[in-house]
Amino acid sequence: MIVHHLPEPRNPSRVVVIGARGFIGAALLRQFGSVGVPVLGLSSTDIDLCSDGAGERLAARLKADDTVLMLAALTPDKGRGVATMIRNLAMMEQFCAALAKAGCAHLVYFSSDAVYGLGPARVTEETSAAPQDLYGTMHLARELMAREVKAPVLVLRPTLVYGAGDTHNAYGPNRFRRSAVADGRITLFGGGEETRDHVYVDDVAALALRAVRSRSAGVLNVATGVSTTFRRVAELVASAATRPVEIVTTPRAVPVTHRHYDITNLLKAFADFRFRGLGDGIAGVRE
Amino acid sequence: MKPTIGFAGMTHLGLVSGVSASEKGFRVVCFDPDPARIGQLAQARLPVSEPQLDDLVAKNASRLSFTALPADLASCDVIYVAPDVATDDQGASDLGTINALLEVVFDAARADAVIVVLSQVPPGFTRGKQRPGRLLYYQVETLIFGRAVERALYPERYILGCADPSQPLPAPFRTFLEAHGCPLLPMRYESAELAKISINMCLVASVSTANTLAELCEKIGADWSEIVPALKLDRRIGQYSYLAPGLGIAGGNLERDLATVCSFADRLGTDAGVVRAWIANSRHRRDWALRTLHREVLSKIDDPVIAVLGLAYKQDTHSTKNSPSLALLSHLHPFRVRLFDPVVPASAAAHPRATPCASELEACDGADVLVVMTPWGQFGKLDPAAIGGKLRRKLLLDPYAVLKAGACRATGLRYFTLGVEG
Repeated sequence: MIVHHLPEPRNPSRVVVIGARGFIGAALLRQFGSVGVPVLGLSSTDIDLCSDGAGERLAARLKADDTVLMLAALTPDKGRGVATMIRNLAMMEQFCAALAKAGCAHLVYFSSDAVYGLGPARVTEETSAAPQDLYGTMHLARELMAREVKAPVLVLRPTLVYGAGDTHNAYGPNRFRRSAVADGRITLFGGGEETRDHVYVDDVAALALRAVRSRSAGVLNVATGVSTTFRRVAELVASAATRPVEIVTTPRAVPVTHRHYDITNLLKAFADFRFRGLGDGIAGVRE
Repeated sequence: MKPTIGFAGMTHLGLVSGVSASEKGFRVVCFDPDPARIGQLAQARLPVSEPQLDDLVAKNASRLSFTALPADLASCDVIYVAPDVATDDQGASDLGTINALLEVVFDAARADAVIVVLSQVPPGFTRGKQRPGRLLYYQVETLIFGRAVERALYPERYILGCADPSQPLPAPFRTFLEAHGCPLLPMRYESAELAKISINMCLVASVSTANTLAELCEKIGADWSEIVPALKLDRRIGQYSYLAPGLGIAGGNLERDLATVCSFADRLGTDAGVVRAWIANSRHRRDWALRTLHREVLSKIDDPVIAVLGLAYKQDTHSTKNSPSLALLSHLHPFRVRLFDPVVPASAAAHPRATPCASELEACDGADVLVVMTPWGQFGKLDPAAIGGKLRRKLLLDPYAVLKAGACRATGLRYFTLGVEG
């Protein structure tokens, strides 16, 4: 459950997005820009949080009344090992040092549903975090580091995010779409029986805007509450394609797992928020 | 000669128990240290709503006396200490009131009077209050909101916590209990205190099972209402078992016992995993209406108007403690709502966009959807066609199946209830 520190939503004086060149970061810049919120986007080309003195340089760019959105992280495609985790933690250390020095009005930390592991099929914010890999462990550790910041802190845990401009190629709508365009074929693991929740990137940004305007704090999963099989996702991608697409199944190598998000807390926090349907989201993606 | 019975603490439990004792022909002294409360009661203005209660107060006025003077308890042979024990949001009991009241009763009662703790207290409480030379007992109360008088007049059994269960009960106490014609089960204090909790845990287990499987029914095309009769004919489950799906556990008493078991388990190292699962399931099901509303209305209709019938936590009561209706309304502040409850005023919802309504159909007038959040009997008498005629969109959420699904659907209403796919 999250709490809103502002009873009446209002725009912040400025939003700073750390990790602004990434898939979600870019969507946030668009979202905040579209409603006239002053926004400063910073990426590793502006300040490399892995470098010496990065905290000092970042602090110099921040103001005490900023709302800061932290997305910068080395994602699993950059490595899944110990070294990557340590670098990510070092980045967060620099980031927290900057906030300790400069202060902020509100911090939104973008974590990941990887903190839950694959144990429970049904997930709420009350589900115990039990990461099963170093990536999830890293995010959980960074969540705890974020909570040390002296300001209202919101932790967002997005599930599988899709949309135009995805810089990754994880199994799901984005990879399926590229594969359909390039090869006219989508290859599923097994028969694609697993169910997952896919959230459109602009919906993530719209929800973040809501949370920023209410100065929300706590933990919130970012998911639609509707889970779909990968088979169905492939069919939706195929139906949206401009050429015939073959859906190919493969021998199953790992057991089927499912994931369902109970988004009741999200509905309570933002009762009138609406997610885009998966079919509409997939049909609307053009790159 | 019949003994005189005293009841200390004139909130729900004490008042209903005292009035019911007078109906059994006993002279009853109703004591409360709050003179204002006694003043109201003396004018037959009752702070609680229960079937039969007002009538019995009038009928037995000659045997009932209300007093704020502890000295008046000196005429009593048996004194029940029966204040409602308040709980916090976590279900933890506030024992301050009963502790204070017990002190008053100990001071005021005759040395030979039997003092009986009737309130819901945690195991160990009564033994901790025992004093040399005093006759102290604990008695399990089985008050059910909306059926409190009936339960007090016709109990299934009396569970009695005793300092020494092998000793005979004092004559006045036995006379009063035997007037109710039910089995007496004396046992040690701690067993009786835990028996009360055990009863409630069995009820919660049944309700949680019903809720868990009803939700599954909603997803796989089964109908829980078809399954229930089969279960009730099973002797191991029984015809009176709690198998109606609901919107989680409410009212405060069951939550108190859940919290008590978890607290004891944590302190003593026993396993309470299943109890915590019941609590989680209860919280999950409480939000059925919110999720269904979102899926069917809020995610599809701009600026919808929502009619809500029922604010009390259950029918035939004024209580809104942990009311699913108020919980739902607390999450609907962005939307216009139209509210009606036969007893509870709309102001109890503290909703910024609420319109109080004088009747069920007035609440439906111009709404996009009707949600029946309390199963008041009078709601079941509503004409589905009349409801449909008032609603802008023909949507009806009726979690407790107060209305007949078939009749509603026959009039063109889209009908959603617990335990079956909408």
